[in-house]
Amino acid sequence: MLPWNYGFHWTAGTMIFMGAFYTVVVIVASTLFSAALRSRRALRGRQTERIRWAEDFHDLPARDRQCRHVLTGEFGYRECPHAFDCRQCETHSHLVARRPPDQASEPEEDIFGMAFPLDRVYHRGHTWVHSEPDGTVTVGLDDLGRRLLGEPDRVDLPQPGGRVSVNGTAWHAHKRNADVRILSPVDGEIVATGGPDAPWYLKIRPDRMDFRNLLGGHEIRPWVMREMERLQLALSAEGAAPTLADGGVPVQDIAAVYPQADWDAVCGEMFLEA
Amino acid sequence: MDKQFITRGVKRCSSGKFLLWILPWVAMLIFGLYSAGLCLVKGLNQTNMDNRFAFGLWIFLDLTVIALGAGAFFTGFLLYILKMKELRAVINSAVVIGVVCYSGAMCALAVDVGQPLRFWFTFWYPNVHSMLTEVTFCITCYLTVLMIEYLPIVLKNRKLRDVPEFLVFEHELHKLIYVLAGVGTFLSFFHQGSLGGLYGVLRGRPFAFREGLAIWPSTFFLFILSAAAVGPSFVLLTSWLVQTISKKRLVKPEAMQMLGRISGLLLAVYVLLKTIDTLVWINRTSPGNGFPAAQYYAWHPFGTWILFTEIALLGMVPALILLTPKLRARTGWLVSAAAMACCGVALNRFVQTVQTLAVPTLSFDKFMTYTPSWQEVGTFLAVLAYGVLVYSFSFRYFQLFPDERELKLEVARVEEEPALVGRY
Repeated sequence: MLPWNYGFHWTAGTMIFMGAFYTVVVIVASTLFSAALRSRRALRGRQTERIRWAEDFHDLPARDRQCRHVLTGEFGYRECPHAFDCRQCETHSHLVARRPPDQASEPEEDIFGMAFPLDRVYHRGHTWVHSEPDGTVTVGLDDLGRRLLGEPDRVDLPQPGGRVSVNGTAWHAHKRNADVRILSPVDGEIVATGGPDAPWYLKIRPDRMDFRNLLGGHEIRPWVMREMERLQLALSAEGAAPTLADGGVPVQDIAAVYPQADWDAVCGEMFLEA
Repeated sequence: MDKQFITRGVKRCSSGKFLLWILPWVAMLIFGLYSAGLCLVKGLNQTNMDNRFAFGLWIFLDLTVIALGAGAFFTGFLLYILKMKELRAVINSAVVIGVVCYSGAMCALAVDVGQPLRFWFTFWYPNVHSMLTEVTFCITCYLTVLMIEYLPIVLKNRKLRDVPEFLVFEHELHKLIYVLAGVGTFLSFFHQGSLGGLYGVLRGRPFAFREGLAIWPSTFFLFILSAAAVGPSFVLLTSWLVQTISKKRLVKPEAMQMLGRISGLLLAVYVLLKTIDTLVWINRTSPGNGFPAAQYYAWHPFGTWILFTEIALLGMVPALILLTPKLRARTGWLVSAAAMACCGVALNRFVQTVQTLAVPTLSFDKFMTYTPSWQEVGTFLAVLAYGVLVYSFSFRYFQLFPDERELKLEVARVEEEPALVGRY
């Protein structure tokens, strides 16, 4: 059967069997080797954050992967094919060219008692980006994100000089049993860090002033409405009944009024982390 | 206590409750390992098998779990090669079932073959004339493939994916998983077939001997087809069992029904071919060898009822149920049909293994009976307990059902619907 066995001789059957067997062994080994090689390349190329987000996005429920143009009613149903990075999306470019964003008539949107200033753009993971005159941008948590975390138990901010990438980890926040990573809305170098008590969390020198991946203007209201619905569902799913009272506004520290809820699951849901 | 290892957003029972659940299985595993240890140390005299009744409970167990474990290769084939996206909902569970079934079968075979220190002989000095050689090589290769397919599921564990190397390797390996799915399908086809062929070539056992195509007896093809047919049924059955025990919605009904439909379709083809094969065997093969087929069914308890039960009751009936959309849409019918299909294939493997050896062939032969010893039963139970434990741990710490989180939110949506209408 095998060349090193006593009485071995080559026959068609032997060759077919050995050919098939060794082909399988080679394919399996090269698949493993190829995966290891690509992993090494990805690790060296600092692709970890991109991969982490790709995995998280893949694991999101289909309803949470909806295109931003579904929120505004331009599509009935469309899953985002670019993991919320509209800079790569041709459909988005076409739609924006066809219908340029409206100029905001109000300086800010007041939605259920939450303030969403319109001088900035928003990431779907509840961060905002504000352009500063010195060419940097400041990044902070939007009002809903802030109320979800209330007074965080701990915040792990990156060191100035470090880099962040779109949809990669910007910083970590801890609240009760929740340990969530907050997604970065921009690519760039961290210039300074603030914190929960400062007006912003990070000051970043962006690689490019390209914020096409972020929401602004008329998109904010429908997005926040959708987020409120998601929050209500997440709270209900985590056993936080009774639900939000109709007509009320979210309190400053939502976690504090739902002590029985699994806050880790709620925050994971709202901050788009698997 | 172990919350940090459990997937975010899914609920699992407390550590104490989980411990209570696994305790009896651990006890069963320990008992089984003791039984298997006795067989390995003292030899096969610990069993009730002998030179005439060389195949018993263990081979029946091996053949059955390998057929049921076919859900892993077949679901992988349907998802990654034929792109049936709905099956993504059960693929991880199917892989774990495959790992459990194949590794369990390998362990039972290792005890059955004995001489554990010479396990490598089968690879180094393979017997060219034995179908078991192909089975050994294929199962070993496929178990390796299954372990590699299981790896991304493990590495996706919440705590493990915090390690960048694990996260990236899991991601890259998953991208190549279609290659492994293809290799798995190739290997499975051959070893399922070879297990069937093993019986079909037994000229000295006319009850099992079959004609066929070129070097392959008909049982070669029937084993492949029956395994592909019941694999999805077993995945369906397991998913339903886990849903029932854990009291959670884990798989969308559409995915369950798709598994049922695929299973029903293949089962129908299998029943048709099995019927033709049986008729050819009754009217040509067996009489041609000088044995009227009726004589095999004169030895009780193996009457013709067993043939009827295998082909009609546990073959045709579940196939018809699974192919009827209205019945398939009802969980009771769907699950019962899947269970019947699995029992049908288990009965087929029992008949092939035990009835083949029990019925006399030569005029001076006697009808043989065999009852497994407690050591054999213990080893069987060890495989069962091992399977339940691996699956239980996998279900607790890994994401076996990717839609679980979405379905939990769906339940909340239904409950919250009145509050949400018109509000947002």
